[in-house]
Amino acid sequence: MALARPGRTPDRSESRAAMDDEYDVIVLGTGMKDTLLSGLMSVAGKKVLHMDRNSYYGGESASLNLNQMFEKYGNGEKPPAELGSSRDYNIDLIPKFMMASGKLVRMLLYSKTTHYLEFKQIDGSFVYNKGKVHKVPVTETEALASGLMGLWEKRRFRNFLIYVQEYDAANASTHKGRDLSRLSSADLIKDFGLQQETVDFIGHAIALNHNDEYLTKPAAELVKRCQLYSLSLAQYGKSPYIYPLYGLGELPQAFSRLSAVHGGVYMLNKKVDKIEYDESGRVCGVTSEGETAKCKMVIGDPSYFLADGKVKQVGQVIRMVCIMSHPVPNTNNSDSCQIIIPQSQVGRQNDIYITCLGASNSVAPAGKYIVIVSSTVETAEPVKELSPALKLLGKPDKIFALLNNVYVPANDFAKDGCFITSSFDASSHFESSVNDVLAVYEQIMSTLPPEERKLIDLDHLPAQE
Amino acid sequence: MAPKKVLLKVIILGDSGVGKTSLMNRYVNQKFSNQYKATIGADFLTKEIQVDERLVTMQIWDTAGQERFQSLGVAFYRGADSCVLVFDVNVAKTFENLDSWREEFLLQAGPRDPEAFPFVVLGNKVDLDARIVSQKRALSWCQSKNNIPFFETSAKDNINIEQAFEVIARNALAQERVEDIYLPDTVDLSDQKDKQSAQNCAAC
Repeated sequence: MALARPGRTPDRSESRAAMDDEYDVIVLGTGMKDTLLSGLMSVAGKKVLHMDRNSYYGGESASLNLNQMFEKYGNGEKPPAELGSSRDYNIDLIPKFMMASGKLVRMLLYSKTTHYLEFKQIDGSFVYNKGKVHKVPVTETEALASGLMGLWEKRRFRNFLIYVQEYDAANASTHKGRDLSRLSSADLIKDFGLQQETVDFIGHAIALNHNDEYLTKPAAELVKRCQLYSLSLAQYGKSPYIYPLYGLGELPQAFSRLSAVHGGVYMLNKKVDKIEYDESGRVCGVTSEGETAKCKMVIGDPSYFLADGKVKQVGQVIRMVCIMSHPVPNTNNSDSCQIIIPQSQVGRQNDIYITCLGASNSVAPAGKYIVIVSSTVETAEPVKELSPALKLLGKPDKIFALLNNVYVPANDFAKDGCFITSSFDASSHFESSVNDVLAVYEQIMSTLPPEERKLIDLDHLPAQE
Repeated sequence: MAPKKVLLKVIILGDSGVGKTSLMNRYVNQKFSNQYKATIGADFLTKEIQVDERLVTMQIWDTAGQERFQSLGVAFYRGADSCVLVFDVNVAKTFENLDSWREEFLLQAGPRDPEAFPFVVLGNKVDLDARIVSQKRALSWCQSKNNIPFFETSAKDNINIEQAFEVIARNALAQERVEDIYLPDTVDLSDQKDKQSAQNCAAC
């Protein structure tokens, strides 16, 4: 019988055929931002080819097992047997939590990727003050009992919170005569007569700013961030954060699957040799192992554009990954938590964050904890900068130090057709990451003919089945 | 006590073009299309079935085409209760590759007891007249891997599909252990409180 049968076994010829094809978009790197863009482009009907030089998903935002971790950062060491099974570990390279009511949650609902993922709330949120770790109060009772501030200060703090809670940009009567688009954050706080320590608490432990730049900026943003914190906290109660089971590396895999389900072609372990440009400097393809796939645009993380000089370094982030056999001391034995060390408490310009996760988040074997200490680098001795935080941990079983350069795009996407995401910043959650994705998405849309533009409306989500 | 509702995650593996999506579609939607296109738009399908006293929801996961260049991530394999290995009886290579698909599954999914994990092998496209892999050869491979159940199927002519999936469900159910029943207290993202209702219950 001469029925045409597709004889497709994965071999060189099929790869050649796929590389021979022409794509609307080639995406380089499977980090969380790039996979989300890949998914959005596939859903918008674009023909997508997605490559990653690594054999695993996630790029800089992957979650690695113990063997991968030692291979990459162990300086030739082998994982010791007492740490347990490699596959029980999912160690995030970028430590972040998700705000329960934040933009990433909206993006997951919007893209209907929630059914690939399961989440748990993070058990607690703590803040370092005068050498001690305090729970960030989440109820009025906790606030009254907290040693963080005196009685009178608590009343002033409460007045501030009530103002923030009631503030609605669209309703002038809630503004109480203040124009938050002009008034600076510092001046708004001054209006409530708050002490410096309370200001730090609001700005860093609630609004989650990682440095003090917000003080001179309009207070509207501060209020928005405080509202996001309390709305997120109200969702599940123990902390404003949620976190995916098996680690953050699940996010890029969910977005990749979304892209694949809509036709995206996936190639891991694919060396990217060269990005090809035409004589006008516009991107026209990507070459890998002697084969060139053609495309109209390229999306990718900065690591793929270093050689072409299309990104610039704006700083460094230091992340110390600790494997421990005990939870972080003075956190009520929380299985998972965050501790914020505001910069002013330790004489820095940037906050230090500590995140702790364990077996209950499916990122470590029973009895082990993954604790990551991170901050923006300020000196030539980044590891030393984190010592105030490391002192709080007790003795870890193993420490890895990861120093990452932070890159931002320095190209003209309208001219070269390259849409480059920024490196992950030191912030403790994904709000800025999703903003980056949305900004790049808008850039892409701005270069398409009007009839092909598709807008994302995170305020009006489609119904979930 | 009412019989407990069970959710089984079943993943289908095998080379591109052996009929994974078609098998899934035939079983769940009773549909078949002769027109081949590399999988696009297939995510997972669910089907409720009754196995003895128990109501079982089978959630059958397609590869979404990510198997073509060995690019299935570990998340795809995670928590699988059963793995269906599919080959095309008319293409020898697809049968020879079963070994590596099985290895890949055991490596990525890491079941506690790999020897006892419930695989099922389907030799698909028996409706075609170009058979190359004999029943004997397939059976002997299955026997060498701890007696994996083997079915010869045709998604096109609806041969053996129901029977195969019933065995898939039964064997997966028989594997249920205490640790599988433990469900962490996960949260439901689609049930978001808005600002108003959050304010009413906010503490301060």
